[in-house]
Amino acid sequence: MRWRSWSPPALTVMAVIIIWELAVHLLRVPEYLLPAPSGVVSAMVAEWRYLTFHTWVTTQEILLGFTLAVVVGLPTAMGIVYSPLVERSIYPLLVASQSVPKIAIAPLLIFWAGIGLLPKVLVAFLISFFPIIIDTVVGLRSVEPEMLHLARSMGAAERKIFLKIRFPTALPNIFAGLKVAVTLAVVGAIVGEFIQADQGLGYALLQANAVLNTKLGFAAILVLAALGVVMFLAVDLIEKKLIPWHASQRSELAAGTL
Amino acid sequence: MLNGQKLVEVSELIRVFPTPEGEVRALDGVSFDVRAGEFLSIVGPSGCGKSTLTMLIAGLMRPTSGLVAVDGRTVDRPQTNLGIVFQNAVLLAWRTALDNVLLQVEMRGLDPRQYRDRAMELLHSVGLAGFERRLPHELSGGMRQRVAICRALIHDPPLLLMDEPFGALDALTRDQMTLDIQGICTRGGKTVLFITHSIIEAVFLSDRIVVMTPRPGRVDVIIEVDLPRPRRLAVREDPTFAAYARDIRDRFMVHGVLHDIDTPGQAPA
Repeated sequence: MRWRSWSPPALTVMAVIIIWELAVHLLRVPEYLLPAPSGVVSAMVAEWRYLTFHTWVTTQEILLGFTLAVVVGLPTAMGIVYSPLVERSIYPLLVASQSVPKIAIAPLLIFWAGIGLLPKVLVAFLISFFPIIIDTVVGLRSVEPEMLHLARSMGAAERKIFLKIRFPTALPNIFAGLKVAVTLAVVGAIVGEFIQADQGLGYALLQANAVLNTKLGFAAILVLAALGVVMFLAVDLIEKKLIPWHASQRSELAAGTL
Repeated sequence: MLNGQKLVEVSELIRVFPTPEGEVRALDGVSFDVRAGEFLSIVGPSGCGKSTLTMLIAGLMRPTSGLVAVDGRTVDRPQTNLGIVFQNAVLLAWRTALDNVLLQVEMRGLDPRQYRDRAMELLHSVGLAGFERRLPHELSGGMRQRVAICRALIHDPPLLLMDEPFGALDALTRDQMTLDIQGICTRGGKTVLFITHSIIEAVFLSDRIVVMTPRPGRVDVIIEVDLPRPRRLAVREDPTFAAYARDIRDRFMVHGVLHDIDTPGQAPA
Protein backbone atom coordinates (compact mmCIF):
# COMPACT_ATOMS: atom_id res chain seq x y z
CA MET A 1 0.00 0.00 0.00
CA ARG A 2 2.71 2.46 1.05
CA TRP A 3 4.87 1.63 -1.94
CA ARG A 4 1.92 1.86 -4.26
CA SER A 5 0.95 5.35 -3.11
CA TRP A 6 4.52 6.64 -3.01
CA SER A 7 5.92 5.13 -6.17
CA PRO A 8 4.10 7.12 -8.90
CA PRO A 9 5.14 10.58 -7.62
CA ALA A 10 8.63 9.30 -6.79
CA LEU A 11 9.07 7.92 -10.29
CA THR A 12 7.79 11.17 -11.81
CA VAL A 13 10.30 13.20 -9.79
CA MET A 14 13.12 10.87 -10.80
CA ALA A 15 12.15 11.12 -14.46
CA VAL A 16 12.04 14.93 -14.28
CA ILE A 17 15.49 15.03 -12.63
CA ILE A 18 17.01 12.74 -15.25
CA ILE A 19 15.49 14.69 -18.17
CA TRP A 20 16.58 17.96 -16.56
CA GLU A 21 20.15 16.73 -16.04
CA LEU A 22 20.39 15.40 -19.60
CA ALA A 23 18.82 18.51 -21.14
CA VAL A 24 21.21 20.88 -19.34
CA HIS A 25 24.24 18.87 -20.56
CA LEU A 26 23.04 18.16 -24.09
CA LEU A 27 21.73 21.67 -24.80
CA ARG A 28 24.71 23.29 -23.06
CA VAL A 29 22.53 25.57 -20.93
CA PRO A 30 24.75 28.08 -19.07
CA GLU A 31 24.90 27.32 -15.36
CA TYR A 32 23.74 30.81 -14.28
CA LEU A 33 20.51 30.30 -16.27
CA LEU A 34 19.65 26.79 -15.20
CA PRO A 35 22.02 24.61 -13.19
CA ALA A 36 21.86 20.83 -13.53
CA PRO A 37 20.44 18.93 -10.56
CA SER A 38 23.90 17.55 -9.87
CA GLY A 39 25.19 21.12 -9.68
CA VAL A 40 22.46 22.09 -7.21
CA VAL A 41 23.31 19.11 -5.01
CA SER A 42 27.02 19.92 -5.09
CA ALA A 43 26.25 23.55 -4.17
CA MET A 44 24.14 22.30 -1.30
CA VAL A 45 26.95 20.08 -0.05
CA ALA A 46 29.60 22.77 -0.48
CA GLU A 47 27.52 25.45 1.27
CA TRP A 48 25.85 23.32 3.92
CA ARG A 49 27.10 25.41 6.86
CA TYR A 50 25.82 28.60 5.24
CA LEU A 51 22.46 27.02 4.39
CA THR A 52 22.05 25.46 7.83
CA PHE A 53 22.57 28.82 9.51
CA HIS A 54 19.98 30.57 7.33
CA THR A 55 17.56 27.65 7.62
CA TRP A 56 17.71 27.94 11.40
CA VAL A 57 16.91 31.67 11.19
CA THR A 58 13.91 31.09 8.96
CA THR A 59 12.73 28.14 11.08
CA GLN A 60 12.67 30.39 14.14
CA GLU A 61 10.61 33.00 12.30
CA ILE A 62 8.14 30.38 11.11
CA LEU A 63 7.75 28.72 14.50
CA LEU A 64 7.36 32.01 16.37
CA GLY A 65 4.88 33.38 13.83
CA PHE A 66 2.89 30.16 13.80
CA THR A 67 2.89 29.90 17.60
CA LEU A 68 1.70 33.49 17.85
CA ALA A 69 -1.07 32.69 15.36
CA VAL A 70 -2.17 29.72 17.51
CA VAL A 71 -1.97 31.69 20.75
CA VAL A 72 -4.04 34.54 19.29
CA GLY A 73 -6.25 32.44 17.00
CA LEU A 74 -7.66 29.87 19.44
CA PRO A 75 -8.86 32.33 22.12
CA THR A 76 -10.27 34.65 19.45
CA ALA A 77 -12.23 31.75 17.98
CA MET A 78 -13.51 30.85 21.45
CA GLY A 79 -14.59 34.45 21.97
CA ILE A 80 -16.45 34.42 18.68
CA VAL A 81 -18.23 31.17 19.56
CA TYR A 82 -19.12 32.10 23.14
CA SER A 83 -19.92 35.80 22.83
CA PRO A 84 -22.38 37.18 20.28
CA LEU A 85 -20.94 40.63 20.97
CA VAL A 86 -17.40 39.52 20.11
CA GLU A 87 -18.73 37.74 17.05
CA ARG A 88 -20.60 40.79 15.78
CA SER A 89 -17.80 43.22 16.51
CA ILE A 90 -14.80 41.16 15.33
CA TYR A 91 -15.86 38.50 12.87
CA PRO A 92 -16.92 40.74 9.94
CA LEU A 93 -13.74 42.80 10.34
CA LEU A 94 -11.63 39.66 10.33
CA VAL A 95 -13.21 38.47 7.13
CA ALA A 96 -12.87 41.91 5.55
CA SER A 97 -9.23 42.10 6.63
CA GLN A 98 -8.51 39.06 4.51
CA SER A 99 -9.14 41.08 1.36
CA VAL A 100 -6.03 43.14 2.19
CA PRO A 101 -3.04 41.36 0.65
CA LYS A 102 -0.65 40.67 3.55
CA ILE A 103 2.31 41.06 1.24
CA ALA A 104 1.25 44.64 0.59
CA ILE A 105 1.43 45.57 4.26
CA ALA A 106 4.68 43.72 4.87
CA PRO A 107 6.84 46.79 4.02
CA LEU A 108 4.84 48.81 6.56
CA LEU A 109 5.48 46.19 9.21
CA ILE A 110 9.19 46.37 8.53
CA PHE A 111 8.89 50.14 8.81
CA TRP A 112 7.12 49.84 12.19
CA ALA A 113 8.81 46.83 13.72
CA GLY A 114 12.29 47.65 12.54
CA ILE A 115 14.80 45.11 11.32
CA GLY A 116 15.58 41.73 12.81
CA LEU A 117 13.36 38.82 13.76
CA LEU A 118 10.18 40.61 14.82
CA PRO A 119 8.85 41.93 11.48
CA LYS A 120 9.24 38.50 9.83
CA VAL A 121 7.46 36.86 12.75
CA LEU A 122 4.66 39.40 12.42
CA VAL A 123 4.22 38.77 8.69
CA ALA A 124 4.18 35.00 9.31
CA PHE A 125 1.63 35.52 12.08
CA LEU A 126 -0.60 37.86 10.05
CA ILE A 127 -0.73 35.54 7.11
CA SER A 128 -1.40 32.37 9.13
CA PHE A 129 -3.83 33.24 11.94
CA PHE A 130 -6.95 33.52 9.78
CA PRO A 131 -7.41 29.84 8.85
CA ILE A 132 -6.87 28.90 12.50
CA ILE A 133 -9.70 31.18 13.62
CA ILE A 134 -12.09 30.15 10.87
CA ASP A 135 -11.56 26.41 11.30
CA THR A 136 -11.66 26.59 15.09
CA VAL A 137 -14.96 28.49 14.98
CA VAL A 138 -16.41 25.89 12.62
CA GLY A 139 -15.10 23.07 14.83
CA LEU A 140 -16.40 24.48 18.10
CA ARG A 141 -19.80 24.93 16.47
CA SER A 142 -19.90 21.41 15.05
CA VAL A 143 -21.04 19.82 18.33
CA GLU A 144 -24.44 18.21 17.84
CA PRO A 145 -27.15 20.18 19.67
CA GLU A 146 -28.35 16.93 21.28
CA MET A 147 -24.93 16.45 22.83
CA LEU A 148 -25.16 19.90 24.40
CA HIS A 149 -28.69 19.14 25.63
CA LEU A 150 -27.39 15.96 27.23
CA ALA A 151 -24.49 17.81 28.82
CA ARG A 152 -26.91 20.32 30.36
CA SER A 153 -29.13 17.53 31.65
CA MET A 154 -26.00 16.17 33.34
CA GLY A 155 -25.74 19.46 35.21
CA ALA A 156 -22.32 20.23 33.78
CA ALA A 157 -20.81 23.72 33.90
CA GLU A 158 -19.89 25.39 30.62
CA ARG A 159 -16.17 25.04 31.38
CA LYS A 160 -16.55 21.28 31.69
CA ILE A 161 -18.65 21.09 28.54
CA PHE A 162 -15.88 22.94 26.72
CA LEU A 163 -13.06 20.75 28.00
CA LYS A 164 -14.76 17.38 27.67
CA ILE A 165 -16.99 17.91 24.65
CA ARG A 166 -16.59 21.07 22.61
CA PHE A 167 -12.83 21.31 22.37
CA PRO A 168 -12.15 17.63 21.56
CA THR A 169 -14.97 17.69 19.01
CA ALA A 170 -13.34 20.71 17.35
CA LEU A 171 -9.85 19.16 17.16
CA PRO A 172 -10.14 17.73 13.63
CA ASN A 173 -11.17 21.17 12.32
CA ILE A 174 -8.54 22.92 14.39
CA PHE A 175 -5.85 20.70 12.91
CA ALA A 176 -7.12 21.33 9.39
CA GLY A 177 -6.64 25.03 10.13
CA LEU A 178 -3.21 24.47 11.69
CA LYS A 179 -1.98 22.60 8.61
CA VAL A 180 -2.98 25.43 6.31
CA ALA A 181 -1.58 27.97 8.78
CA VAL A 182 1.84 26.36 9.09
CA THR A 183 2.40 26.34 5.34
CA LEU A 184 1.26 29.97 5.17
CA ALA A 185 3.67 30.84 8.00
CA VAL A 186 6.53 29.59 5.78
CA VAL A 187 5.36 31.93 3.02
CA GLY A 188 5.04 34.80 5.50
CA ALA A 189 8.57 34.38 6.85
CA ILE A 190 10.06 34.36 3.35
CA VAL A 191 8.05 37.40 2.26
CA GLY A 192 9.31 39.23 5.34
CA GLU A 193 12.89 38.30 4.48
CA PHE A 194 12.46 39.39 0.88
CA ILE A 195 11.55 42.89 1.93
CA GLN A 196 14.37 43.45 4.36
CA ALA A 197 16.76 40.97 5.91
CA ASP A 198 20.39 40.17 6.44
CA GLN A 199 19.84 36.52 7.24
CA GLY A 200 17.37 33.69 6.56
CA LEU A 201 16.67 31.51 3.53
CA GLY A 202 14.81 34.32 1.73
CA TYR A 203 17.86 36.53 2.16
CA ALA A 204 20.18 33.71 1.00
CA LEU A 205 18.02 33.22 -2.08
CA LEU A 206 18.13 36.92 -3.00
CA GLN A 207 21.89 37.08 -2.39
CA ALA A 208 22.53 34.06 -4.60
CA ASN A 209 20.41 35.56 -7.38
CA ALA A 210 22.17 38.89 -7.10
CA VAL A 211 25.55 37.32 -7.86
CA LEU A 212 24.10 34.90 -10.46
CA ASN A 213 24.89 31.94 -8.20
CA THR A 214 21.82 30.14 -9.48
CA LYS A 215 23.01 26.80 -8.11
CA LEU A 216 22.92 28.15 -4.59
CA GLY A 217 19.54 29.81 -5.27
CA PHE A 218 18.08 26.48 -6.29
CA ALA A 219 19.65 24.84 -3.24
CA ALA A 220 17.99 27.45 -1.00
CA ILE A 221 14.62 26.85 -2.67
CA LEU A 222 15.04 23.10 -2.19
CA VAL A 223 15.80 23.54 1.51
CA LEU A 224 12.83 25.88 1.81
CA ALA A 225 10.52 23.32 0.21
CA ALA A 226 11.84 20.64 2.55
CA LEU A 227 11.30 22.97 5.51
CA GLY A 228 7.66 23.50 4.49
CA VAL A 229 7.08 19.77 4.15
CA VAL A 230 8.69 19.07 7.52
CA MET A 231 6.50 21.70 9.21
CA PHE A 232 3.38 20.24 7.64
CA LEU A 233 4.31 16.67 8.55
CA ALA A 234 5.07 17.73 12.12
CA VAL A 235 1.55 19.12 12.55
CA ASP A 236 0.17 16.03 10.82
CA LEU A 237 2.09 13.79 13.22
CA ILE A 238 0.79 15.65 16.27
CA GLU A 239 -2.72 15.32 14.87
CA LYS A 240 -2.35 11.57 14.43
CA LYS A 241 -1.02 11.21 17.98
CA LEU A 242 -3.68 13.44 19.49
CA ILE A 243 -6.82 12.39 17.63
CA PRO A 244 -6.35 8.86 16.32
CA TRP A 245 -10.14 8.49 16.37
CA HIS A 246 -10.66 11.15 13.73
CA ALA A 247 -12.51 9.92 10.65
CA SER A 248 -9.92 10.99 8.08
CA GLN A 249 -7.26 9.06 9.97
CA ARG A 250 -9.61 6.13 10.28
CA SER A 251 -10.16 5.83 6.56
CA GLU A 252 -6.40 5.78 6.10
CA LEU A 253 -6.17 2.92 8.56
CA ALA A 254 -8.94 1.11 6.74
CA ALA A 255 -7.21 1.68 3.41
CA GLY A 256 -3.94 0.49 4.94
CA THR A 257 -5.40 -2.91 5.70
CA LEU A 258 -6.34 -3.54 2.07
CA MET B 1 -42.12 8.26 45.49
CA LEU B 2 -44.91 5.72 45.52
CA ASN B 3 -45.90 4.14 42.27
CA GLY B 4 -48.97 5.71 40.75
CA GLN B 5 -48.33 9.23 42.07
CA LYS B 6 -47.81 11.95 39.52
CA LEU B 7 -44.11 12.29 38.73
CA VAL B 8 -44.49 14.59 35.75
CA GLU B 9 -47.35 17.04 35.35
CA VAL B 10 -47.88 18.90 32.13
CA SER B 11 -50.67 21.46 32.07
CA GLU B 12 -51.98 23.72 29.32
CA LEU B 13 -48.59 23.72 27.66
CA ILE B 14 -48.24 26.05 24.67
CA ARG B 15 -45.08 26.50 22.70
CA VAL B 16 -44.86 28.86 19.75
CA PHE B 17 -41.80 29.15 17.51
CA PRO B 18 -41.16 32.35 15.63
CA THR B 19 -40.14 31.66 12.01
CA PRO B 20 -39.57 33.96 9.04
CA GLU B 21 -42.96 32.83 7.70
CA GLY B 22 -44.73 33.75 10.93
CA GLU B 23 -45.37 31.94 14.16
CA VAL B 24 -45.58 28.17 14.26
CA ARG B 25 -47.60 26.71 17.08
CA ALA B 26 -45.90 23.42 17.95
CA LEU B 27 -47.89 22.66 21.08
CA ASP B 28 -51.34 24.07 21.72
CA GLY B 29 -52.59 23.48 25.24
CA VAL B 30 -51.22 20.06 26.09
CA SER B 31 -52.09 18.53 29.45
CA PHE B 32 -51.33 15.08 30.82
CA ASP B 33 -49.34 13.53 33.59
CA VAL B 34 -46.89 10.70 33.97
CA ARG B 35 -47.34 8.51 37.01
CA ALA B 36 -44.37 7.23 38.93
CA GLY B 37 -43.32 3.80 37.70
CA GLU B 38 -45.39 3.81 34.54
CA PHE B 39 -44.31 3.54 30.92
CA LEU B 40 -46.05 6.30 29.01
CA SER B 41 -45.76 6.72 25.27
CA ILE B 42 -46.54 9.78 23.25
CA VAL B 43 -47.45 8.88 19.73
CA GLY B 44 -48.20 11.29 16.95
CA PRO B 45 -47.29 12.30 13.41
CA SER B 46 -44.13 14.20 12.55
CA GLY B 47 -44.38 17.86 13.50
CA CYS B 48 -46.92 17.40 16.29
CA GLY B 49 -44.46 18.79 18.80
CA LYS B 50 -43.41 15.50 20.38
CA SER B 51 -39.76 16.46 20.53
CA THR B 52 -40.64 19.95 21.77
CA LEU B 53 -42.43 18.22 24.60
CA THR B 54 -39.28 16.30 25.57
CA MET B 55 -37.29 19.51 25.56
CA LEU B 56 -39.87 21.27 27.73
CA ILE B 57 -40.07 18.45 30.26
CA ALA B 58 -36.27 18.25 30.42
CA GLY B 59 -36.17 22.00 31.07
CA LEU B 60 -34.01 22.55 27.99
CA MET B 61 -36.60 24.93 26.54
CA ARG B 62 -39.10 27.37 28.07
CA PRO B 63 -42.80 27.05 27.29
CA THR B 64 -44.59 30.03 25.76
CA SER B 65 -47.24 29.45 28.41
CA GLY B 66 -48.39 26.63 30.62
CA LEU B 67 -46.56 24.63 33.20
CA VAL B 68 -44.35 21.57 33.54
CA ALA B 69 -43.66 20.13 36.98
CA VAL B 70 -41.44 17.18 37.83
CA ASP B 71 -41.73 15.67 41.28
CA GLY B 72 -43.95 18.56 42.34
CA ARG B 73 -41.45 21.28 41.37
CA THR B 74 -41.97 23.64 38.45
CA VAL B 75 -39.44 23.06 35.70
CA ASP B 76 -37.61 26.34 35.05
CA ARG B 77 -34.08 25.11 34.35
CA PRO B 78 -32.42 22.05 32.81
CA GLN B 79 -33.49 19.01 34.82
CA THR B 80 -30.68 16.79 36.04
CA ASN B 81 -32.58 14.07 37.85
CA LEU B 82 -33.37 12.18 34.66
CA GLY B 83 -31.81 10.30 31.77
CA ILE B 84 -32.34 11.27 28.13
CA VAL B 85 -32.03 9.16 24.99
CA PHE B 86 -32.33 10.88 21.61
CA GLN B 87 -32.92 9.43 18.16
CA ASN B 88 -29.18 9.63 17.50
CA ALA B 89 -26.89 8.04 20.02
CA VAL B 90 -24.65 11.17 20.11
CA LEU B 91 -21.62 9.40 21.51
CA LEU B 92 -18.22 11.05 21.74
CA ALA B 93 -16.11 9.55 18.95
CA TRP B 94 -12.88 9.41 20.98
CA ARG B 95 -14.36 7.62 23.97
CA THR B 96 -14.87 3.89 24.29
CA ALA B 97 -18.35 2.52 24.93
CA LEU B 98 -17.52 2.32 28.64
CA ASP B 99 -16.14 5.86 28.80
CA ASN B 100 -19.15 7.18 26.92
CA VAL B 101 -21.39 5.69 29.60
CA LEU B 102 -19.16 7.19 32.29
CA LEU B 103 -19.40 10.66 30.71
CA GLN B 104 -22.69 11.06 32.57
CA VAL B 105 -20.85 10.44 35.85
CA GLU B 106 -17.87 12.67 35.04
CA MET B 107 -20.05 15.58 33.96
CA ARG B 108 -21.86 15.36 37.28
CA GLY B 109 -18.57 15.66 39.11
CA LEU B 110 -18.82 12.13 40.52
CA ASP B 111 -15.94 9.69 40.70
CA PRO B 112 -16.03 7.50 37.56
CA ARG B 113 -14.07 4.74 39.31
CA GLN B 114 -16.97 4.15 41.67
CA TYR B 115 -19.35 3.73 38.74
CA ARG B 116 -17.14 1.55 36.58
CA ASP B 117 -18.59 -1.76 37.78
CA ARG B 118 -22.14 -0.52 37.37
CA ALA B 119 -21.37 0.74 33.86
CA MET B 120 -19.92 -2.67 32.95
CA GLU B 121 -23.01 -4.38 34.38
CA LEU B 122 -25.31 -2.13 32.38
CA LEU B 123 -23.36 -2.74 29.16
CA HIS B 124 -23.52 -6.50 29.79
CA SER B 125 -27.26 -6.30 30.47
CA VAL B 126 -27.85 -4.81 27.01
CA GLY B 127 -25.69 -7.44 25.31
CA LEU B 128 -22.52 -5.40 24.92
CA ALA B 129 -20.21 -7.68 26.91
CA GLY B 130 -16.85 -7.67 25.15
CA PHE B 131 -17.54 -4.34 23.43
CA GLU B 132 -16.73 -2.07 26.40
CA ARG B 133 -13.43 -0.95 24.91
CA ARG B 134 -14.72 -0.35 21.39
CA LEU B 135 -14.97 3.12 19.93
CA PRO B 136 -18.36 4.24 18.57
CA HIS B 137 -17.30 3.83 14.94
CA GLU B 138 -16.55 0.18 15.65
CA LEU B 139 -20.13 -0.42 16.82
CA SER B 140 -23.34 -0.91 14.84
CA GLY B 141 -26.17 1.63 15.02
CA GLY B 142 -28.12 -0.55 17.43
CA MET B 143 -25.09 -1.06 19.66
CA ARG B 144 -24.42 2.68 19.75
CA GLN B 145 -27.99 3.31 20.84
CA ARG B 146 -27.59 0.69 23.57
CA VAL B 147 -24.55 2.58 24.84
CA ALA B 148 -26.64 5.77 24.84
CA ILE B 149 -29.30 3.98 26.90
CA CYS B 150 -26.70 2.81 29.41
CA ARG B 151 -25.40 6.38 29.65
CA ALA B 152 -28.95 7.53 30.46
CA LEU B 153 -29.25 4.92 33.23
CA ILE B 154 -25.82 4.92 34.90
CA HIS B 155 -26.80 7.50 37.55
CA ASP B 156 -30.03 5.58 38.27
CA PRO B 157 -32.47 8.41 37.53
CA PRO B 158 -36.13 7.95 38.42
CA LEU B 159 -37.24 9.33 35.05
CA LEU B 160 -36.16 8.31 31.58
CA LEU B 161 -37.02 10.48 28.56
CA MET B 162 -36.71 8.73 25.22
CA ASP B 163 -37.25 10.74 22.07
CA GLU B 164 -37.75 8.31 19.18
CA PRO B 165 -34.80 6.25 20.39
CA PHE B 166 -35.25 3.59 17.71
CA GLY B 167 -36.01 6.01 14.88
CA ALA B 168 -32.67 5.50 13.15
CA LEU B 169 -32.55 1.70 13.47
CA ASP B 170 -33.57 -1.06 11.09
CA ALA B 171 -36.78 -3.02 11.72
CA LEU B 172 -35.17 -6.14 13.23
CA THR B 173 -32.93 -4.14 15.56
CA ARG B 174 -35.98 -2.12 16.60
CA ASP B 175 -37.82 -5.30 17.60
CA GLN B 176 -34.91 -6.45 19.72
CA MET B 177 -34.44 -3.02 21.29
CA THR B 178 -38.13 -2.84 22.12
CA LEU B 179 -37.85 -6.10 24.04
CA ASP B 180 -34.65 -4.98 25.75
CA ILE B 181 -36.15 -1.66 26.81
CA GLN B 182 -39.10 -3.45 28.31
CA GLY B 183 -36.70 -5.60 30.32
CA ILE B 184 -34.56 -2.70 31.50
CA CYS B 185 -37.50 -0.52 32.49
CA THR B 186 -39.57 -3.08 34.36
CA ARG B 187 -36.50 -4.35 36.21
CA GLY B 188 -35.45 -0.91 37.40
CA GLY B 189 -38.92 0.37 38.28
CA LYS B 190 -38.28 3.42 36.10
CA THR B 191 -40.80 5.99 34.99
CA VAL B 192 -40.46 6.27 31.25
CA LEU B 193 -41.71 8.86 28.82
CA PHE B 194 -41.29 7.32 25.40
CA ILE B 195 -41.83 9.35 22.27
CA THR B 196 -42.46 7.51 19.03
CA HIS B 197 -44.37 7.60 15.78
CA SER B 198 -44.71 3.82 15.80
CA ILE B 199 -48.14 2.67 16.95
CA ILE B 200 -46.89 -0.90 17.39
CA GLU B 201 -43.98 0.15 19.60
CA ALA B 202 -46.24 2.35 21.69
CA VAL B 203 -48.82 -0.38 22.31
CA PHE B 204 -46.16 -2.99 22.97
CA LEU B 205 -44.25 -0.98 25.56
CA SER B 206 -46.78 1.26 27.27
CA ASP B 207 -49.03 1.31 30.27
CA ARG B 208 -50.67 4.39 28.79
CA ILE B 209 -50.48 6.09 25.42
CA VAL B 210 -51.02 9.79 24.75
CA VAL B 211 -52.17 10.17 21.15
CA MET B 212 -51.37 13.57 19.68
CA THR B 213 -53.10 15.44 16.87
CA PRO B 214 -51.17 16.87 13.92
CA ARG B 215 -49.78 20.41 14.28
CA PRO B 216 -50.67 22.31 16.33
CA GLY B 217 -50.11 19.42 18.73
CA ARG B 218 -52.90 18.70 21.17
CA VAL B 219 -53.75 15.64 23.21
CA ASP B 220 -56.31 13.71 21.19
CA VAL B 221 -56.94 10.80 23.51
CA ILE B 222 -55.17 8.92 26.28
CA ILE B 223 -55.41 5.13 26.06
CA GLU B 224 -54.74 2.67 28.87
CA VAL B 225 -53.09 -0.51 27.60
CA ASP B 226 -54.18 -3.48 29.63
CA LEU B 227 -51.92 -6.29 28.44
CA PRO B 228 -50.08 -8.62 30.84
CA ARG B 229 -46.33 -8.14 31.32
CA PRO B 230 -43.73 -9.16 30.39
CA ARG B 231 -44.94 -8.96 26.81
CA ARG B 232 -43.50 -11.22 24.15
CA LEU B 233 -43.15 -10.22 20.51
CA ALA B 234 -46.00 -12.60 19.69
CA VAL B 235 -48.40 -10.42 21.68
CA ARG B 236 -48.51 -8.25 18.58
CA GLU B 237 -50.68 -10.90 16.88
CA ASP B 238 -53.03 -10.94 19.87
CA PRO B 239 -56.56 -9.60 19.05
CA THR B 240 -56.51 -7.30 22.10
CA PHE B 241 -53.18 -5.84 20.92
CA ALA B 242 -54.59 -5.40 17.42
CA ALA B 243 -57.63 -3.61 18.84
CA TYR B 244 -55.43 -1.06 20.66
CA ALA B 245 -53.39 -0.48 17.53
CA ARG B 246 -56.58 -0.05 15.48
CA ASP B 247 -57.95 2.48 17.98
CA ILE B 248 -54.88 4.66 17.56
CA ARG B 249 -54.84 4.22 13.79
CA ASP B 250 -58.49 5.26 13.67
CA ARG B 251 -57.66 8.43 15.56
CA PHE B 252 -54.94 9.17 13.00
CA MET B 253 -57.47 8.61 10.20
CA VAL B 254 -59.93 10.99 11.80
CA HIS B 255 -57.26 13.66 11.87
CA GLY B 256 -56.12 12.97 8.33
CA VAL B 257 -52.70 11.72 9.39
CA LEU B 258 -53.41 8.43 7.63
CA HIS B 259 -55.63 7.90 4.57
CA ASP B 260 -56.67 4.37 3.73
CA ILE B 261 -56.93 3.43 0.06
CA ASP B 262 -60.73 2.99 0.12
CA THR B 263 -61.51 6.41 1.63
CA PRO B 264 -63.37 8.24 -1.12
CA GLY B 265 -62.43 11.77 -1.99
CA GLN B 266 -59.06 11.61 -0.23
CA ALA B 267 -55.77 12.04 -2.00
CA PRO B 268 -53.29 9.30 -1.16
CA ALA B 269 -50.68 10.41 1.35
